[in-house]
Amino acid sequence: MADDEHTDDAARTDGTGIVPPDDETPTWRERKERTTGLSRLTYEYFERSRREDQDLREESDYVERDVLAFPVWPHELIRNLALTSFFVGMIFFLASTLPPHLGAPANPSQTPSIILPDWYLYWSFGLLKLGPLNPDLAILGGEKLMADRTYGVVANLVVVGFIAIVPFLNKGSARRPVEQPFWASVGVMGVVFAVTISALSMKNLVPLDSSLLFDLTFLVPPIAGAITYAVLKTMREGYMYDLNRRYYKLRPPK
Amino acid sequence: MADEFAKGLGLLTGAGLIWMVLAGWYKTPSFSGAQLTGAPPSDLSMLGEVALILLESMFWLAIFGALLFWVGVPLGRELYAKVEGE
Repeated sequence: MADDEHTDDAARTDGTGIVPPDDETPTWRERKERTTGLSRLTYEYFERSRREDQDLREESDYVERDVLAFPVWPHELIRNLALTSFFVGMIFFLASTLPPHLGAPANPSQTPSIILPDWYLYWSFGLLKLGPLNPDLAILGGEKLMADRTYGVVANLVVVGFIAIVPFLNKGSARRPVEQPFWASVGVMGVVFAVTISALSMKNLVPLDSSLLFDLTFLVPPIAGAITYAVLKTMREGYMYDLNRRYYKLRPPK
Repeated sequence: MADEFAKGLGLLTGAGLIWMVLAGWYKTPSFSGAQLTGAPPSDLSMLGEVALILLESMFWLAIFGALLFWVGVPLGRELYAKVEGE
């Protein structure tokens, strides 16, 4: 670029530069409807935001620093205050309109008929009920290698271990499920399994046959994963997938 | 597309919140029994009757409002584009 061409630092708004004047800036609808020239669009998008960032930094009276970021005030704080106000207001609203029920005090000398852990531990409680999976070994004369309760505890270790090794199996930088349908379906399978194993943990409260519920616990997650895989594979054909892949390539390598 | 999603989500959550509060007032006889779906008390004042009507309408607004913006409007646009031959 010749230096004598651009002597002024102000952004050119007459339409000759890369940054279009405000009245010619395409709306988001126009951007979405444009299906050709995607690389140009992406380039213009990044160039425009880079140029705006540069202009803001040059016009501001802040000391130029190496760190490129938005100042906390007002950008971050206004957003955080808005979010905080919404959730605090929602807590006040619900607490005033639907006050919680205060039950009778617990009787420590009487065991309740239904014993369950807190809801976020239902999955672990359900893993303790995998007795039917504990094999009777012929080599031990039909005896089980370990008691059903020991088997349930070991099942906890297996599940926690699998969750622990997933980051080592897939270190990809994909941020959207559509970029890696297989691993997205693995995730969906895990979430659905958490739900079904939680349902198994309270099987005496679920209006289903006990053995049917046990089978569904292990059959539903792969089905949900397969559906997820098919849906994501289909979504890859869409326009947004091209845009996502472009951003995906723009990211620094892992 | 995203605007329609936000409108449907706003109707679903906003009307659903009003429905949940009114159902907690009028259709939850006790904590241990049916919640939000119980039978409303029979001796209601004028205000209570109006609230019951509002409760029912909010329930259906939440469902059909979301359906309208998530299914109806996109479907209508697709059909319109087909008819127009785009």
